[in-house]
Amino acid sequence: MIAFIIRRLFTTIFLLLVVSLVTFAIFFLLPRLAGQNAYQLATQYVGRNPTRAAILQIEQKLGLNAPVYLQYGRFLKALVLGTHYNSGSSVTYCPPPCFGYSFRSQQPVWPQMTTALPVTLSLAVGASILWLVGGVTIGVISALRRGTFFDRFSMAVALAGVSLPIFFTGLIALELFSYKWALFPNVQYVNLTSNPLLWARNLVLPWITLAFLYAALYARLTRAGMLETMGEDYIRTARAKGLRERTVVVKHGLRAALTPITTIFGIDLGLLIGGAIITEVTFSLHGLGLFTYQAIQNQDFPEIQGVVLLASFFIVIANLAVDVLYAVIDPRVRY
Amino acid sequence: MKRPAKFGLTAVAAAAALTIAACGGSSGGGTGSGGGGSASSVSFNQGVTKVVHPSSTTGGTITFADSSTPDSFDPGNTYYAWVLNFNRLYATPLVMFKSCPGTCGDQIVPGLATSLGQVSDNGLTWTYHLKQGVTYQDGTPVTSADVKYAVERTFDRSVLANGPSYYPVLLKGGSKYPGPYKDKSKAGLSSITTPDKYTIQFHLASPYPDFNYVVAFSNSAPVPQAKDTGTNYQLHVQSTGPYMFQSYQLNKQLTLVKNPKYKASWDTQAKQLANKIVIDLNVNANDLDNRLMAGDIQVDAAGTGVQAAARAKILASNSLKQDSDNPLAGFLWFIYLNTKVAPLSNLNCRVAVEYAANKTELQTAYGGPVAGGQIASTTLIPDQIGYKKFDLYEATTQPSGDLTKAKAALKACGQPSGFTTGMAYRSDRPKEVQAAQALQSSLARVGIKLQLHGYPSGNYYSDFAGVPKYVHSHDLGIDIGGWAADWPNGNGMLDELVNGNTIVSAGNTNISELNDPVINNLFTKANSENGDARNAIWSQVDHQVMKDAAILPEVYAKSLIYRSPDLTNVYVQPQYGMYNYIALGTTSKS
Repeated sequence: MIAFIIRRLFTTIFLLLVVSLVTFAIFFLLPRLAGQNAYQLATQYVGRNPTRAAILQIEQKLGLNAPVYLQYGRFLKALVLGTHYNSGSSVTYCPPPCFGYSFRSQQPVWPQMTTALPVTLSLAVGASILWLVGGVTIGVISALRRGTFFDRFSMAVALAGVSLPIFFTGLIALELFSYKWALFPNVQYVNLTSNPLLWARNLVLPWITLAFLYAALYARLTRAGMLETMGEDYIRTARAKGLRERTVVVKHGLRAALTPITTIFGIDLGLLIGGAIITEVTFSLHGLGLFTYQAIQNQDFPEIQGVVLLASFFIVIANLAVDVLYAVIDPRVRY
Repeated sequence: MKRPAKFGLTAVAAAAALTIAACGGSSGGGTGSGGGGSASSVSFNQGVTKVVHPSSTTGGTITFADSSTPDSFDPGNTYYAWVLNFNRLYATPLVMFKSCPGTCGDQIVPGLATSLGQVSDNGLTWTYHLKQGVTYQDGTPVTSADVKYAVERTFDRSVLANGPSYYPVLLKGGSKYPGPYKDKSKAGLSSITTPDKYTIQFHLASPYPDFNYVVAFSNSAPVPQAKDTGTNYQLHVQSTGPYMFQSYQLNKQLTLVKNPKYKASWDTQAKQLANKIVIDLNVNANDLDNRLMAGDIQVDAAGTGVQAAARAKILASNSLKQDSDNPLAGFLWFIYLNTKVAPLSNLNCRVAVEYAANKTELQTAYGGPVAGGQIASTTLIPDQIGYKKFDLYEATTQPSGDLTKAKAALKACGQPSGFTTGMAYRSDRPKEVQAAQALQSSLARVGIKLQLHGYPSGNYYSDFAGVPKYVHSHDLGIDIGGWAADWPNGNGMLDELVNGNTIVSAGNTNISELNDPVINNLFTKANSENGDARNAIWSQVDHQVMKDAAILPEVYAKSLIYRSPDLTNVYVQPQYGMYNYIALGTTSKS
C-alpha cells in the first residue's frame, strides 16, 4: 500500500508539471503564435491612456519581454525555491510554494488562495454531506421500492435536479428565500470561528443548491447500482441464510453498490474544492471559484496558474484517497 | 427600510435558529437632525438636480458593494471614476470637485490647499499653499514634502501602473524622472519644489491652464514616505480624510471607520456622518442589485447602473422608480468619420452620413433612452463646461434620419448613388456590434454600403483604428469610438479627439484625423484665456467639429442608478456621473 501511495505521489508531481506547462502555453505561447508581442500583452496591465514608457516599464517588471521558456523556468523556480519581489519601497521574499505575484494587484497569489480555500471547503464539504446522505438514501429507498409513487416521484425530482443548472436554481433560491421572504437575508460568507451559526445560516442556500444537483445524480446512480446488486446471487444466498433484511441491504447490497459512488464522489469533491465557480459566483462567496472567475476576467496569469495547479492537486489527491478507500469498501481490492 | 413581509411558514427549528443568529451584528447610535425624509417626498431623477434626504444625522453603517474590484485603493494608483469618487473619504487631494448637484458640481474648490493654484505670469509655475494643522490618522503633520512625494511616486509605473499620466508629460523633465523608488537622491524631481513646509510649486514645461484639474486627481493626496510600502500601500493607506482604513481583505472587503484626527475645516466638501463604511467587492451583479433594493446594501459603488433584470423591476414599480435616478454618465458614444479616407474626405459625403444615420436605432443599440442614453447632437455633453445645445443634422428633431438631405449631400459629394467604405468597431462589445449593424442598415437606405470590421477592444487603438496607416490601407472611413473626459470642459473632452496636433501614428484618438486650422487655433487661443472667454471657446470648437462633420454623435450615455431610501444627502456628482460618496449619511442603525 505504501509503495502504491509513493508511486501515485510521483505521478501527481508529473501530472501537475504537465498541467502547469499546458496552462502556461495557453496563456503565453498561443498569443505569441497569434502574433501578439510582449508590448501588447503588457498594455492589458496598465491603466487607461498609458504612455509608451509606462507600458515598457510594466513589460519589464512582469518579465514579459523574456523568451517564453525562460518565463516558464522562472515560474517553476519560484514555485520550488521561492523568489524575491520588488514592491517599490523594498524587496520582499516570497517563500515556496510561490505562485508569483498578481499582474493586477501586485500582491502574492498564494495568500489570496489560502484565504479563499476555507470558503470553498465550507461550501464543498457541507454540500457533499447533504448530497451524499440525501442522494444515497433516496437511491436506496427507490431501489427497494421500485415502481412505487416514492420511486417515481423521487426519480422525477432527481431528473429535474440533474437538468437544472446551478445558476438557475441558485437564483431562484436567492429570489425566494433571500430577497422575497427574507428567510436567509444578505447571504455572505462569515468565518466559522467568528460566528458558527451565521456561518451555517449563510451557507444553507449554497449548500442546498449545490447538493440538489449532485444528490439527484447520486440518487440515480445509487438506485441503478442497488437494483443491479440486489439481483445478484449472493444477495439471494444471504437472504436464504436467514439474515435480517437490513443486514442484507446495508452490509451486502449497499456496500457493493457504493464502490462506483465512491469513485465519482472523490472526483466530484476534488473538483469542488478546486473551485465551485458557478455556485460561488451566484452567491458571491469569495472562495477559489470566484477567485478563478476573477482571475480569468482579468487575464491575471499568476492567479490562473495558481488556482489551476491547486485544483489539479485536489483532484489528484481525492482520486488517491478514493483508490485507498476501495480497499476498505471492497475486500476484493488489494494493492 | 422597507422590507417584504416575512414568509409565513412554520420554519424548521434549525432554520429559525440560523435566522435568529443572523440578527446579530453591530449597532451604532445616531444623533442629528433632518431625518431621512419620507418615501412620498422623493421622486424619480430627483437626485440629479437636488439633494435628496438632506440630513445631519450621524451614526450607522453605509455598505457599498462592487461587482468587480477596484484597480487599487491606493490614491496614487487608480483611474477608475468610482474609486476617485470613493477614495476622497480617506485621501484629500490639493483641490477637488465641489460637493453639490448639477453643474455646480463641475466647479473646482480647494481640498488640502487653502485656495486654487496660483499660476505665474508665464503660466509655467503653479503654487499651492497647504492648510496648516492637517495631520494623518496617527497625528503626524502633513507637509508639502508629503505631497511632492505622493506625486513623485506615481512616476514609477512598474510599481503604480494604473493612475493618469499627466505629471510626466506636463512637468519639466518629468519624462526622464524614474520616481523615488529608483531615484534615491534627496532632491527628487526638480520641477516640484517645496519652498516651505506648507507650500508646493509645480514647474511646467509649457503652460497648461487646466492644471487645477490635474491636481484634483487623488494622486495629489499626501503620502508619508516613511509609511509608503509601494505596491502594498493599497492595504494601509494613511488617511487625511474623514475616514481611515480599519481593515482591508484584498479584493473582498474594505472597512473604513471615522478618522479621530479629522477636522471638518480640513476638507469642507466631505462629511463624517456614518460611523462606518464597508465596501464588499466581487459581489455578483444581479445579487448586488437585489440586495440593494432589499436594503442590505446602500450603494452600488461602480455607479454605472443596475443590470437589465433590476432595471425592468424598477421601471415597472413606482415605489422603486421614485428611489432611482437616471443621470448622464459622463460618456459620449460616437462614430468617427475619417477626413482623410476617400470619399469621406469630402465634407458632403460626411454630411450625408450624418443625415442618413438612424439615431433612434443607434440609441436602441446602446440600451435605449434609460440605460443607453440620450440622442446626442454635439460632441460636448450637456453638463460640461462650454456646452451649448445645437443640432446641425436634425439628430433630435428627425432621429430616424433625413434621407432627402442625405441624398442631396451625396449628390454634392459626387456620389449620387452612394459609395462603399469600411467600418471599424470593437467586436467584444455587443452594443458596438449592434450599433455598427444599425448604422449599416440605415446608411444602406441611401446607397452607402458599409463593410464591417470587428477588432478586439484591447488593441483597438494601439493596432487598428488608432493607427492612421492601418485605417487608410483598410479603407476604414467610419470607426466607432467613445470618450469620457477626465474633467468637464472642452479641453478635457475634445483635445484628444479633434485637435490636429494630437494625431499620432499609433494609439491615435483623433481617428477622424481632423486637422482643421480653425479648431487648432481655438485650442491654442484657449491656452491664453480664462473664465467665460475660455469656456466660450469650447462651444466654438464643438460647433466647428460638427460643421466639419468629423464626428457622428450617437448618445450621451445615461445609467439607471438606485438610490437607497436609507441614505441621506444623496445626489449625483456630475463629474463622476454617480452619487457623491463623500457627502452620504444613513438613517440605518445596523
